[in-house]
Amino acid sequence: MKFRNNRVMEKYSIFIVLFVMIIICSLLNENFLSTGNITNIIKQLSVAAILAYGEMLLIVSGMLDLSAGAVLALSGVLSVSVYKSSGSLIIALLVAVIVAVVCNIINAIMVTSFKAPPFIATLAMQTVARGIALLFTKGQNILQLDNYVVFGQGNIGPIPVSIIFLIIITIIIWYLLRHTRLGRSLYAIGGNEEAAVASGINVKLNKYKVFIINGILVGIAGVLFMSRVNAGLPNGAVGYEMEGLTAAIVGGTSFSGGIGTTMGTLTGAFIIGCLNNIMNLIGIDSYVQQIVKGVIIALAVIWDIHSKTKKTTKVVLVEEKEKVVSN
Amino acid sequence: MEPNIKLRVSQIEKSFPGVKALNKIDFSVRKGTVHALCGENGAGKSTLMKIINGIYKPDTGQIFIDEKPVKILNPIHARSYGIAMIAQELNYVPEMSIEENLFLGRLPVTKYGKVDWKLLRKKTIEFLSAEGLPYKPDQKLKTLTVSDIQMLEIIKAINNKAEIIVMDEPTSAITQREVDILFKKIEVLKSQGVSIVYISHKLDEVFQIADDITIFRDGTVVESHRASDLDMDKVIALMVGRKIENVYPKEEIKLGDKLLEIKDLCSTGVFKNINFHVSKGEIIGFAGLVGAGRTEVMRAIFGLDPITSGHIMKDGQKVEIKSVKDSIKNKMVMLTEDRRRYGIIPIRSVMENASISILEKIIYGGYAHEREERKIVGEYFSKMNVKTPSLETPIQSLSGGNQQKVLLAKWMLRNPDILILDEPTRGIDVGAKFEIYKLMSEMAKQNRAVIMVSSELPELIGMCDRIYVMNQGKITGELQKSEFCQESIMKYATSTI
Amino acid sequence: MKRKLVSVLVGISMVAALLTGCGSANGTTKTEDKGKDGYRVAYIARAQSDSFAAWLANEMMAAAEEYDDITLDVFDGQADDEKENAAIENAITSKYDAIIVQPNNGEAQRPYVEKIVAAGIVAITTNARIDGIEGASSVDADPYAQAAVNAQAALEQVPQNAKVVVLNGPSGNFHADERRKAWQAEFFDKRPDVEIVGEQIANWNKDEAVQYMEDWIISNNQIDAIISMNDNMAAGALEVVAGKEEFKDILSYGVDGTAEAMLLIEAGTMTSTCLQSAIDLAKLNLETVHKLLTGEEKQIDTDIDAPLINKENVADYVKMYKDRGLIQK
Repeated sequence: MKFRNNRVMEKYSIFIVLFVMIIICSLLNENFLSTGNITNIIKQLSVAAILAYGEMLLIVSGMLDLSAGAVLALSGVLSVSVYKSSGSLIIALLVAVIVAVVCNIINAIMVTSFKAPPFIATLAMQTVARGIALLFTKGQNILQLDNYVVFGQGNIGPIPVSIIFLIIITIIIWYLLRHTRLGRSLYAIGGNEEAAVASGINVKLNKYKVFIINGILVGIAGVLFMSRVNAGLPNGAVGYEMEGLTAAIVGGTSFSGGIGTTMGTLTGAFIIGCLNNIMNLIGIDSYVQQIVKGVIIALAVIWDIHSKTKKTTKVVLVEEKEKVVSN
Repeated sequence: MEPNIKLRVSQIEKSFPGVKALNKIDFSVRKGTVHALCGENGAGKSTLMKIINGIYKPDTGQIFIDEKPVKILNPIHARSYGIAMIAQELNYVPEMSIEENLFLGRLPVTKYGKVDWKLLRKKTIEFLSAEGLPYKPDQKLKTLTVSDIQMLEIIKAINNKAEIIVMDEPTSAITQREVDILFKKIEVLKSQGVSIVYISHKLDEVFQIADDITIFRDGTVVESHRASDLDMDKVIALMVGRKIENVYPKEEIKLGDKLLEIKDLCSTGVFKNINFHVSKGEIIGFAGLVGAGRTEVMRAIFGLDPITSGHIMKDGQKVEIKSVKDSIKNKMVMLTEDRRRYGIIPIRSVMENASISILEKIIYGGYAHEREERKIVGEYFSKMNVKTPSLETPIQSLSGGNQQKVLLAKWMLRNPDILILDEPTRGIDVGAKFEIYKLMSEMAKQNRAVIMVSSELPELIGMCDRIYVMNQGKITGELQKSEFCQESIMKYATSTI
Repeated sequence: MKRKLVSVLVGISMVAALLTGCGSANGTTKTEDKGKDGYRVAYIARAQSDSFAAWLANEMMAAAEEYDDITLDVFDGQADDEKENAAIENAITSKYDAIIVQPNNGEAQRPYVEKIVAAGIVAITTNARIDGIEGASSVDADPYAQAAVNAQAALEQVPQNAKVVVLNGPSGNFHADERRKAWQAEFFDKRPDVEIVGEQIANWNKDEAVQYMEDWIISNNQIDAIISMNDNMAAGALEVVAGKEEFKDILSYGVDGTAEAMLLIEAGTMTSTCLQSAIDLAKLNLETVHKLLTGEEKQIDTDIDAPLINKENVADYVKMYKDRGLIQK
């Protein structure tokens, strides 16, 4: 029974961290808990959180995506320019998603059919996608987006559109991981790929699926990003994959695969979002902000490794425990 | 007190949070003898050995070497007392050469601090030729088989001039021939006055070489005797704390029609012209040396590896098996060898590890029916006597035997007609072995079929109706129950028809 | 398995080479050699991925078209000191008559520019110049002056006891530092009544500026001016307050004179900026290199003008961008 409580603590520790952080932040600045600021935080973290979901799914299945930032920029600028020529928001959104999905299918081909390590394959895609985005725009920002900004700046009722996107995506990802065979298969593949194969799971197909889902997420993030800044920035979102990865890892996704949850990742994104926000609210120097963020990432990884080593020492514990059961 | 005691532990206790792992352990090893430790997984043998090797610190109690009290701080410190340990899990760097691995952590250096590659090469060649090993010093370790690596590891420890050698399941991954070599080495070491602590689940081996036997159960020493005062049944009874009537619960079943028939199965460079069949109610075995191609044949039949030609018939119908899915569809499942590599998903829960085979039965209608899942899996676990703290426990926390039972449960949940078992009892304790044998018998009674690949001849002989023997990718012999004997199996296993 | 991986990598690098090949073929379109004994000039750009640098490279090619006796080749430093230095070395080896360097980081390229001079090749540093290289010329926009014209205008426009926010470029960047220096000396030192309520490095980026501004308007209900070291960041900050009644009179200053800033000034949202004209800079570069090559002069250090753009004169610049297709009509 005691055992169970520990596991519960371990399971919910990340939420407790966020809760404590929110309390501290609200003491540091009275505006922190204002509706306006909370809306701000969620708006600011929505792009990173959406990318983080993609990274989380990939890490859970033993992969990762270093091309997310560059593909985001590519799908974003193409979407913006299609909007400018067609005037249709739906087509613009579709274009972004299709472009990002195509890039991710190529990632998947490299990873599954040619057995390229995801790190290398997506690194190559990062360079290629950024190059195409720059080539397409000749390095210039695309301006005058008109109504395109509704995605990142508009409201439906009192709620910003980007937050609605985030909520819907969160529910879908949660559902995928929790209530579909795909979710279970991804955990198995990341936990032990060879065992997954021997259990009759179509590893290749599932890897394609997860890359395609990542593509959809990156495409949507591209639209939100570009409309938030009201420009098509071919140089935008450099290193955003790292924001996504950080949120996923801080949220308890294990880099060795097989572990990670939707709510954990969202919480990770919130922890980073709140951290950025409070540091700006109380006016902490840019340099210090970088140091603080770095320390948080290091702590998250140490936490991840620590909780895992704790599990291996449990091996002995449980072996002993069994006797109690068997007696 | 006996003379010539090399190693003695007295009143050792060790607790982990919430559990007492060792309780007042007294135990001693005589100079120049082999002292075997027997007990089920989790009985405390490994914990005690880790204390002797300085990995754990005892809560109370004392260790004596040559009757002098010592405190062992860590494994390196243990080495200075002449204690060497050959772990069950091998520690080596696959991308490094034999010479680098042999001298890992103590590479010879010149006076300028540069690695002395010449000296290293010379030492390695001397070492390899002295041991009669046919390897090149710069060969990468990953090109060697597991058993070769294990032999290297053993020889390495022996050559470290140890006075006490702890061997934890040293024969779990090596072939019979290498076991013989090892036992000869142990004899030589004994005559040199080296003391050996030998941990093994293979009781026949234990009785072959042990001078003394100590039996552990539930963190205590149950009994300690001269080997000559014990016999196998007695040891098993002491280990499990109850009497197991018959080690091999095989029952006579009237065989039905041919259930599975393999015709001229080939895979270029791997195996050739494999023909065999298994009938309803039958248990067949596959014997052979490591590397004979048994695992490869089974993997191909199960759809894990491709075949070049030949076909598979089930119930007299030809079936296409291109993936594990196809195999499952035809109600054929396989418990793969190497549990860690192909079997368990270590960090996921025991429930998920089991239910992965029946995802479509628990996730349907757009919803994961977790309550049903718990019920189905839980019922099967209690039926198979799986011991786990909860269904959410990560499978890696369980003992080897229980992990194996979870994996078996995974496949039994699919209600298969044919169960293929590849080395199902390797490295698991007597109790769990018995559960697996019982399950095999159960399958046969229900007119289903079992194919067992095993390197342990006694269990093949004890459990099977027929045994096929393989060598070099071919079936070299088929024995009926009346013909079973270890000698004839070994003869086929080394013949090259 | 291993061989497969290698072939994949080769494949990837070939695709990459093909794509970058396309890119550079596009970027280094050679002007036809119209003169009898034309001069070969190499232009080593800081990065083709930086929008101002990309614009400048395009304008350099356009400006070279005007000279019959000059052939211009453009190379990409890829925002990396190593790559930029290697490009300079290659250009020396290829015996160009003149090499124009747009440094990625002035001090890192200094020894290489010295090598150009030592090789007897005409050397020009531009945007930003590297000071004090014996025998090398320079063409630049003066970043101090660019910010100063805005700061001087702000002296009168910013109300008493105003609260302002400051957006900086990456620290250590010559232009970022000089512009901030100008604001300090020409504005903040003269207006002790003005309070800085937020100052952050947004790395020239619009998206980073958006985020900082969102947080600043939460912690301050009054912000009278946005002082930004470039237009991109100013535009990002303005994006946040757009349509907000309480900030409708906010002042905002940038530098660079980007197309976006022109539109914002035209719309009355942004107060002023200073044009760093890639067109002027390119023209002046070509003019300078021509003078040096023909031996008219031995060494030249010159700056383009720093014109202030505000509501009064913005129409002229909008027209310029429209002519170049960077603003749609």
